[in-house]
Amino acid sequence: MSGVVAEASTVVTTPALSHRPWWRGQPVQVALVIAAMWLAYRALRLEYPWPSRLAWETLQFELDRFQVWLIEQRSAEDKNVVFAVFDGFRALIDDLVRWLEELLLWLTWVGTGAAGTLLVWRFGGLRAALITLAAFALFALTGLWAESVQTLALMLAAVGLSLAVGIPLGIAAGRSRQVARFLTPVLDAAQIVPAFAYLMPVVILFSVGPAAAVVATMVYAIPPSVRITALGIRGVPVNTVEAAASMGSTRTQMLTKVQLPLARRMVLLGVNQTILFALSMVVIAGLIGGGGLGAVVNSGLSSTPSVALLAGLVIVVMAIALDRATEAIAERTDPARRHLDAARLRIVRLQTAAVAAGIVVVIAAAKLAGVGSTYPAAAGVRQRTVTAQEWLLTRIQSVLDYVQDPTSWIFSVTEPTGIFILQKLLLPLQQFLVEGPWFTTLLGLTFVAFVVSGLRPALTTFVMLGAIGVTGVWGLAMDTLSQVLVATLIAVVIGVGLGIAAAESKLVSKAMRPVNDVLQTLPQLVYIIPFIYLMPVSIVPGIVAGVLYAFPVVVRLVERGLHDVAPQSVEAAGAFGATRRQVLTKVKIPLAGDAIMLGVNQGIIMVLAVVVIGGLVGSGGLGYEVAQGLVRGYFGQGVIASFAILALGITLDRVTQGTRKARKEGLG
Amino acid sequence: MEPLIRASGVWKVFGPKADRIVGTPDAALERAELREKTGCVAAVRNVSFEVLPGEVFVVMGLSGSGKSTLVRTLIRLIEPTAGEISIGGRDVRAAGAAELRDLRRNDVAMIFQHFGLLAHRRVIDNVAFGLEIRGMPKSERLSRAREVLRVVGLEDAADQFPDQLSGGMQQRVGVARAFAGNPKVMLYDEPFSALDPLIRRDMQDEVCRLQVETGQTMVFITHDLSEALRLGDRIAIMRDGAIVQLGTPEEVVGAPADEYVENFVRDVPRSQVLTLRWVMRDPEPGEALDGPRLDVGTIVRNAIPALAGSERPVLAVDDDRVVGVVDRVSVLEAIAGEGG
Repeated sequence: MSGVVAEASTVVTTPALSHRPWWRGQPVQVALVIAAMWLAYRALRLEYPWPSRLAWETLQFELDRFQVWLIEQRSAEDKNVVFAVFDGFRALIDDLVRWLEELLLWLTWVGTGAAGTLLVWRFGGLRAALITLAAFALFALTGLWAESVQTLALMLAAVGLSLAVGIPLGIAAGRSRQVARFLTPVLDAAQIVPAFAYLMPVVILFSVGPAAAVVATMVYAIPPSVRITALGIRGVPVNTVEAAASMGSTRTQMLTKVQLPLARRMVLLGVNQTILFALSMVVIAGLIGGGGLGAVVNSGLSSTPSVALLAGLVIVVMAIALDRATEAIAERTDPARRHLDAARLRIVRLQTAAVAAGIVVVIAAAKLAGVGSTYPAAAGVRQRTVTAQEWLLTRIQSVLDYVQDPTSWIFSVTEPTGIFILQKLLLPLQQFLVEGPWFTTLLGLTFVAFVVSGLRPALTTFVMLGAIGVTGVWGLAMDTLSQVLVATLIAVVIGVGLGIAAAESKLVSKAMRPVNDVLQTLPQLVYIIPFIYLMPVSIVPGIVAGVLYAFPVVVRLVERGLHDVAPQSVEAAGAFGATRRQVLTKVKIPLAGDAIMLGVNQGIIMVLAVVVIGGLVGSGGLGYEVAQGLVRGYFGQGVIASFAILALGITLDRVTQGTRKARKEGLG
Repeated sequence: MEPLIRASGVWKVFGPKADRIVGTPDAALERAELREKTGCVAAVRNVSFEVLPGEVFVVMGLSGSGKSTLVRTLIRLIEPTAGEISIGGRDVRAAGAAELRDLRRNDVAMIFQHFGLLAHRRVIDNVAFGLEIRGMPKSERLSRAREVLRVVGLEDAADQFPDQLSGGMQQRVGVARAFAGNPKVMLYDEPFSALDPLIRRDMQDEVCRLQVETGQTMVFITHDLSEALRLGDRIAIMRDGAIVQLGTPEEVVGAPADEYVENFVRDVPRSQVLTLRWVMRDPEPGEALDGPRLDVGTIVRNAIPALAGSERPVLAVDDDRVVGVVDRVSVLEAIAGEGG
């Protein structure tokens, strides 16, 4: 880039302080709107639910009829081209998953474990290999080897296909501004859609089975791989690309000899993120035919909670092992950092050969010795086995009994907390939104959107909420909205508080990091499971899970925002004799306002994603409708609720974007 | 002599609808006004020059003057908005992708301020990169790379990685990489700005040496006047995208075209740049013309010993013809003018 352009852009950007900060003046207006809504609620409570004149009441049945027609078409002798294509695609993915699973089983449990551990050891080092080995040991000891392998096969297929789509798209977006400009809004949209909202459409297209599970996982896992790959390609130093161009590289040479090798680490970190995103869908995928650990969790939720928790634990360990292994591989195989001389290179090649030979030998030995395809859950005739399943289940059950025992200490904390959230926050807000007159709620929320974010978001809000009403799920949506708002409030309070603490104290920051990492690695539904038993009130687990899922992001954004405050401003304030507290409240927090707003924006979307999942375990609202649609086959109902979740997600995203012009987490 | 590089009327305008600016009255606006009015930035404005084979042509200017953009337009790393460019008789602007690639591979090599080395490759593979993308076989290109590394004194670092080298050594790799392909033209884009002063001087000497040895044509971008004066056969001084003066170092120092250039060269030790031509006077009637004779192109400073050893003024000679006389007063005046 020429110096001129850089200079031009610095001149053009106006300093952030020239516009009025978003919170000044706006809180007053928002408060006025809400006061008006509240007056209307007091006066006209329950008198104006969404009018049936304005609702398309037969929509549900139309959709059901549509499904019947779909099924007929699909099973027809001479299939429509579209159905033939979708069916072919479905069969292909089903075969892929099945083939992978059979492969992992054919290798025998000894072979699979050895191959995984040795490969991670070769490319990721000893530490990562030990974690991998521990994970395999857990699969065996919990007696969930077969389910784990099934989940691994599903993951391999979903991650492989996601990368096959995501990396080329990411490369294209990294190399071409036009492609990036086209893809960014698509990726943004994919990110704000809660997974629960597209399960129904996926099921419509692929019906229940591994293919549907893979596709639903892909929708969720492709965006991060595109984003991070694009970031990596764009992160290759401009002058290196320019130098290669000045020597006459073709576009292909530029990609294969310069951009990809230099972006390699980022691309691999993209793989890491893709895996984590995919894994966080395991449980949800279990709902639509994914099988494996997800199915164990789902069936356990209603019958044997300790088994659900055990399977959840295995998923978590699998996530941690895959995370550490891929991260270590990304770091250790980066040629720009690891300088191999000829001697080292020879050693590395020997290691590779040894590992390959070792894997073959172990598998051959295992096959010859007649080792079973899965770790035997019970002692057979010829085999003795060790499993800790019984022991683990007993422990988990005793913990569950303890937390649910009204005389226990923990119960005296969780019970009042749950009741407080329910009585003081959730129910009042729910009544306010659900039972208030529909028109004041609709107009009030639209006006709040206008005040906070401007005209276009306000129009979006009006249209989306209107559509929710017309499709006949106004009350359910308001119920879900109240849960989202309460969870977001709690997440933001915790997140901002901890974020400030982390920014001000290195100690807190250090202590927070592993907690954040673990919370971010956990699959969404896994959060909920423990709280079903910890928080005896049915709606609360979803909310607590949403808070746990979202607050680390708020912490991180707030911490980063406070760190990014120009040190000159802080120094200047200090020079005027401001106390640390004054610096924080008068300089840092106002200057970090955008970061806090961004935290709210990202947090609320994450909360929505988890809160609707709570529908599976009795939180009601839209999530429950989708769960019913999936589990019981109430098709129309599920589709409408899915759409409403999507509409709610778009609304919440637009409203909380505030006056920020550019989204900070874009491709560029 | 036929010029090797010819640029005429070159423009580069960044911004919306940049191609509609050139040729309109807007093009004559000051840079700031143009930005105000159209949102476009004219990085290079109507620049023309020619570079002869074997010449070291320096483009000098402050940051933002458009010099780096200009050098990039020569091989279309940045696409010029208007103008004509030819290198070695090839019309660069009309070249298709393949021909442009051919030009970049064989005729021109560029050296960058921030080196632009490939962090994932050893030094020797970096040097061989240009040959590799031409499709030269591995053993051949590696032996050529080793040869070039020896020339820049880096044969011992061949197996190291760029981040294991100091900045000066990294730039040597950059120079070696450019040299490896035997280009006709070398483009240096502020190659030594990121280096500390002592290393910078070493590298300048190295470049002078290589240039003398190979006789390559060089276009050298710098913001450092002393570097420009040291290296340049001719210097183009740029300001706000346009060339404000183009001449030999002594022309620039001796006869600055405007106040801007004058401010630039004010601190230059004139006695080290100017030749006798700039301080001589016509002989006075009856003056004895029997003093030491020096070529009129002698640097003033180098004439001081002769002047000190003789009572008589020095005679400035051009092809055995006396063209002027230089006495102690004129030299002292030249020196006194320095720094003031």
